[in-house]
Amino acid sequence: MSDDELVVSTGSTDERVDPPLHGDEVAILRTFLTYHRETLRLKCAGLTQEQLAQQLPPSDISLGGLMKHLALVESQWFDYYFRDFPHAPPFDTMDWDADPDWEFDSARHDSPDELRALFDEAVARSDAVVDDALTRRGLDEESARVSPRTGETFTLRWILVHMIEEYSRHNGHADLIRESIDGQKGE
Amino acid sequence: MTQTFDKTTRTEAPLRADEVTALRGFLDYHRDTFRWKCAGLSQEQLAQAHPPSTMTLGGMMKHLALNEVGWFGSSLAGLPYPPPFDDVDWDADPDWEWRTAADDSPEDLRALYDDCVRRADAAVDEALAAGGLDAVSVEESSSDGPFSVRWILLHMIEEYARHNGQADLIRESVDGMTGE
Repeated sequence: MSDDELVVSTGSTDERVDPPLHGDEVAILRTFLTYHRETLRLKCAGLTQEQLAQQLPPSDISLGGLMKHLALVESQWFDYYFRDFPHAPPFDTMDWDADPDWEFDSARHDSPDELRALFDEAVARSDAVVDDALTRRGLDEESARVSPRTGETFTLRWILVHMIEEYSRHNGHADLIRESIDGQKGE
Repeated sequence: MTQTFDKTTRTEAPLRADEVTALRGFLDYHRDTFRWKCAGLSQEQLAQAHPPSTMTLGGMMKHLALNEVGWFGSSLAGLPYPPPFDDVDWDADPDWEWRTAADDSPEDLRALYDDCVRRADAAVDEALAAGGLDAVSVEESSSDGPFSVRWILLHMIEEYARHNGQADLIRESVDGMTGE
């Protein structure tokens, strides 16, 4: 898929592209991932800074925190693990040992536009990394860094499927949080 | 009685695997995650909602059981729905599985769920043996032809992961348990 085929939601209208029912592996993985990135944008669209910081107790997750967390997750998988680059700013200078939930906690100080710009930049950078990798070994290409848990490398295939389930799980959080803010529901 | 699930036995998707192994590994990971989110709760706790949402963990278990036999049994393989889903009047009661789960014991919900997962896996085994991930479903979508096994597996991974995200917040509201 080329960049100009990616649909970007600028507001709260649903412009998501459904994954092809019988596409090849690369096309279907990338469309599912794009679909879930779009879903998160939709779940965050049309809300104020205060609403994006709102929680559904007892959980302390907020929609703004989720958006900043997923910007970090994009950089963590595609920059840090896959190609052994530093995390993208502002995540490169954080002291994670001192403040492991920094992205969740600090998001409440960011405006909706800032959060969305950070997220969109992270997604664009990840897509460029994937585009580049696919000109080489494709989905079997292995990550430059290894899993701290198993010592193994990750294939690009694993990272893409993991990102789909990571986003889907967080979109499940977003479903309940958004419903509690203004009643908006929907897949 | 409650359901049980030992989280240390949860399936993990292998980091370096072919497409079939990766997709089935991720699906099993989410099935096990969901079993864990429902484990150790009473019938009343499984029927507890986290307002304003009306979803419950028990309802979700019955809904995911329906999804397993709906996608893999009915759509992919063309099989009839097994009981109790076979004689539900869905037009009259479209949320039947969510609504009626409150009347089911934890063990009955889990037995139904496990049975539907077994049926689903058998249908996937058969489809993969016949045509691999490009094999297509017996039933067709309303507008775009049949579904490939690849699409159905990925759809089920995102369906489960999304519901597990909802389950995370519902479970935390029931007894404070959190975790991936």
